[in-house]
Amino acid sequence: MNWEITISGFGGQGVLFIGRLLMEAGFASGQQVSWLPYYSGEKRGGMCSCFVNISEERIGSIFISHPDIAVAMNPAAYAMLEPDVKPDGLLIVNESLVKEKSQRPDLKAVYVPTVELAKEVGDESVANIIALGAVLARAPVVTTSSVIRVLNQMMSKNKPQLELNKAALLKGCELS
Amino acid sequence: MSERTLMGGNIAIAEGAILAGCGAYFGYPITPQNDLLEHMSVRLPAMGRVFLQTESELAAINMVYGAAATGVRCMTSTSSPGFSLQQEGISYMAGAEVPCVVANIMRAGPGLGNIGGAQGDYMQCTRGGGHGDYYLITLAPASVQEMMDLTMLAFELADKYRNPTLVMADGFLGQSVESIVMREPVKSLPPKDWAIDGARGRDRRLINSFEMNPIDHPKRIRLLLEKYERMRLEEVRYEGMLLDDAEIVIVAYGSAARAAMTAMNRARKNNFKVGLLRPITVFPFPSQVLSDLAEKGSKFIVAEMSSGQMLEDVRISVGNQNEIKLVNTYGGVPLTPDMIFEAIDLMS
Amino acid sequence: MSNRGINDMDNAIFRRPDIMPDRATHFCPGCGHGITQRLIGEVLDDLRLRDKAICVGSIGCTVTSYLYYDVDGTEAPHGRAPAVATAIKRCHPDLHPFAIQGDGDLASIGMAEIVHAAARGENITIIFANNANYGMTGGQLAPTTLVGMYTSSTIAGRKEDRHGFPIRVSEMLATLDGPAYISRVSLHNPANVRKARKAIEIAFRAPLEGLGMGFVEVLSMCPINWKVEPVNAPQWIVDNMIPQYPLGEFKCKPEVEELKKAVRG
Ligand SMILES: Cc1ncc(C[n+]2csc(CCOP(=O)(O)OP(=O)(O)O)c2C)c(N)n1
Ligand code: SF4
Repeated sequence: MNWEITISGFGGQGVLFIGRLLMEAGFASGQQVSWLPYYSGEKRGGMCSCFVNISEERIGSIFISHPDIAVAMNPAAYAMLEPDVKPDGLLIVNESLVKEKSQRPDLKAVYVPTVELAKEVGDESVANIIALGAVLARAPVVTTSSVIRVLNQMMSKNKPQLELNKAALLKGCELS
Repeated sequence: MSERTLMGGNIAIAEGAILAGCGAYFGYPITPQNDLLEHMSVRLPAMGRVFLQTESELAAINMVYGAAATGVRCMTSTSSPGFSLQQEGISYMAGAEVPCVVANIMRAGPGLGNIGGAQGDYMQCTRGGGHGDYYLITLAPASVQEMMDLTMLAFELADKYRNPTLVMADGFLGQSVESIVMREPVKSLPPKDWAIDGARGRDRRLINSFEMNPIDHPKRIRLLLEKYERMRLEEVRYEGMLLDDAEIVIVAYGSAARAAMTAMNRARKNNFKVGLLRPITVFPFPSQVLSDLAEKGSKFIVAEMSSGQMLEDVRISVGNQNEIKLVNTYGGVPLTPDMIFEAIDLMS
Repeated sequence: MSNRGINDMDNAIFRRPDIMPDRATHFCPGCGHGITQRLIGEVLDDLRLRDKAICVGSIGCTVTSYLYYDVDGTEAPHGRAPAVATAIKRCHPDLHPFAIQGDGDLASIGMAEIVHAAARGENITIIFANNANYGMTGGQLAPTTLVGMYTSSTIAGRKEDRHGFPIRVSEMLATLDGPAYISRVSLHNPANVRKARKAIEIAFRAPLEGLGMGFVEVLSMCPINWKVEPVNAPQWIVDNMIPQYPLGEFKCKPEVEELKKAVRG
């Protein structure tokens, strides 16, 4: 399988980080991977995207025009991504900020109140991880346990942070 | 099996240089290659090698000149505006036949432009770039793996030809992270019987580009030109994909070639006979293979993130008989598979 | 267009300078550059320089300084603003070019240009925003970085033996005969901001009178790269920068002393 994933939002919403987690988990499971940060508009406070490929084959474009999976963390990201997701693709929408609903019948759109759910597990800073959990629940791109292994490695020195992130991931998985 | 790892493009250049025995790095911050400089600031001193953040790109390239003249493998890295500043020093090194590696992680110009990736320095890189008659082997990686591999090769070719060698990548590739296979360090470096390392027990040596005598200077240039001719004969590198039955050949390098590969695969699924020619050396340019393809009647799509600079080399190679179409972006905008696919669709 | 709209009370003590259009700056929260820009805006207003001033953007976080003034503007390559400003002044003595240069821009790549413009006594205004690092490119070592200070290219801190010593630009330039006025100010509290305002005004008035370059070094907050909270950044200046970069005047031609009497504050 060849997964093309685009994640977009404001700079500071942790868009690059969840892309990174997906890439690391894909890499750990022996796949070819690529990760590309992309800023449109002014860097501070502007739009921030990341493109992730996870593939069994040699990876072509590091930019993704038509993702299999898209995560829209804010309204501008939704406007940009919604028309471009592949038919039968998955679109995770951050319902806390995006009020629109997709009219595309060929799309699996999932609306996740990431900020509210993040607050439930303890801190709204992990809204991005909630969104990642929602991805994992809907698409077999990488396993939840492989992402948890990456988190374990990355946050081994900060236990409270690690537990918060894990809780957010599981919350995102279970509610979707 | 060698170790697999995740690495950023700019970091892979740094690590490739370290593996190739780079003993000194001189550089000045500029986006989008700051991580390369920062990585070197940690790695080289820890290995007892030289790292210096310089007061400007001008100082950096001239420090490279000084270090290289003493026989040390050394490099600088920069991005387009800084690369412009370095042209004088590179010209001096080409004239004095001093080997070094310069990595140019291109951003959008002209002027300050912006920090988005671009391929607008193609002409500057492949035509010498500074004053006088000279050329530089210019390697154009299209993956993080190649950022490492071609940097290692650049050091080898620099020494082989005693000439500055360029690694030319766009900022998008520099910022991307991919999985790569680590390489082995180079075990022994070539002897340099021309280096100025103190005239103990031998005749003194001189490394310069100044020739007062109007009869001798053309002779010197002729030797340089012969060297560039040898590069053209021996150092052309490219990757061809699905060229055998291709009716349309996409020509692209760097991250644009990656977009082209995706577009090609999509086109093949739609039964378009499309292939990809990816120059790995843009100087020397793979002209012969292009003219052979032209001979077979192929049409060409040139995909690049500039106003159409490589297009000129393709035109020179292909001639006037075949259709050539340019698909491009500029101003720091990425080239997408969609744009290339559309061009294929129109041409078919 | 005046910012003194009908909603302003006549006795308002603080308002946006007329010369500054109502638009957000791109600076990080707590950055000193915004204050410096505003102080310059006040001086441009007070000296009525709208039709004379030319804002020369220089490469660093202040590159877009020209967006925040309703005056003509241009942009110099990294470090070259004093050269660009020199030529504008030489060709059009009635104009008044000024630049806000960062420490990387002025004291590193542009050291030759500033030294020679100062030595020639060019009648231009240079505001030197010293934040001890390269802000725009992500916080690398600058020529003004303090010994021991963390930067993204000296992660174990600046070491004298490897990275050399910080440059005191104002003191160095003060050895030259060309500049009319050189002083170092800081933005760490309101009293010092007022002093900075006064110094900047003098640095505009002196070259306008043909007395030579006006130069003000402003110790300026860069919380994001110092990795301190914006509220703590002013104290960081007091604790770390002022010991290395003492405040005060380093050069003031006698004629400038006269001029000062006209400056309020
Ligand atoms: C020739 C050239 N080299 C490097 C750069 C990259 N660059 C942009 S801003 C900057 C330095 C910014 O630092 P400083 O002057 O201290 O200003 P600050 O951002 O801290 O305000 C550099 C090196 C450039 N634009 N041009
Ligand atoms: S990086 Fe530093 S100097 Fe630049 S805008 Fe931010 S706080 Fe200001």
